[in-house]
Amino acid sequence: MNETSNVQRPTLNVESSASVTTSTIKNQKSYIFWRILDFVLAGIFIFAGLSKILDLDRLIADLQQLQFASALADLRNLSLASPAEFASGIDNFKIVPWPISVALAFYLPWLEILCALALVFRFLYRGALAILSASIVVFTLATIAAKVRGLDITCGCFGHASQHWSFPAHLATNLAILTGLVVLWFGAAARERRAD
Amino acid sequence: MKFLLARQAAVVAALALLPAAGEAIYFRDKISWRSAIAPSEMVTVEHAREWGDTAIWVDARPDDEFANDHVPGAISLNEDRWNELLPQFLAVWAPGKKIIVYCSSLSCNASREVARRLRKEAQLSDVFVLEGGWEAWLKKNR
Repeated sequence: MNETSNVQRPTLNVESSASVTTSTIKNQKSYIFWRILDFVLAGIFIFAGLSKILDLDRLIADLQQLQFASALADLRNLSLASPAEFASGIDNFKIVPWPISVALAFYLPWLEILCALALVFRFLYRGALAILSASIVVFTLATIAAKVRGLDITCGCFGHASQHWSFPAHLATNLAILTGLVVLWFGAAARERRAD
Repeated sequence: MKFLLARQAAVVAALALLPAAGEAIYFRDKISWRSAIAPSEMVTVEHAREWGDTAIWVDARPDDEFANDHVPGAISLNEDRWNELLPQFLAVWAPGKKIIVYCSSLSCNASREVARRLRKEAQLSDVFVLEGGWEAWLKKNR
């Protein structure tokens, strides 16, 4: 009996170590997945914020035409975008008065960028997720309300790149981003459960 | 947990105020907090009429509204057919001429957007938006 028991012990250890290794690989894969999703969504919001703060029109046009040398030159000559343009975009929704549109035009791009950085560095993570989710929901509802009221809105969500998007394109983009944020919520909740 | 979430959101929201305030100070002279269009970029119907032949009228409304009626001599230039109509407008435009853009009323945005694109994309100066748009013009010309 003792012999059998002695023989079985190393087998159990091997099994247990194999199961630990499998679990570690699973955890690593899961970690990589969540980090990729964090970075993708953060990238979207950083681009959205920067396209309102900086004049990226030429850079985007050159990148679309795959003219990388010109794009590099554009990068060196980047200038600040006029906040009046984004303020006009907000004003087009006819929800808030002009002074509030101006204040939001100054504030929202920085909020998007800071929330995105919070996702990247996982600092104030859930707070940033809450703000981004709420802002996407509000923006989607405002877009639908504008459509129902027959307003011809020009979306300033990604600067001029998104200016001529159709209504379904607006909605699809918002819903895709919102889905990504919801998935991140689940990820954050799962991590907390594991930590507990 | 809810308290933590609210506190984190409040911290992020407060942090964003700092660069936003800096940007607002930087642009303090370049954006009007009172009106969407800077007063220097607007023109009244009376003032526009005084310019006579030195001004070109641009109708930023959709094609059907332009076809229905428009300011005499106005050229249609709307965002729906921007690429098609811009060359026609540029053929009529001459250096030194003032450009008066109008849309349907005080609350429409088309004139503001067309004026912005004329300044930025066509690199034209002396572009003005008609205060009150087509409705204001109709009232003064009935």
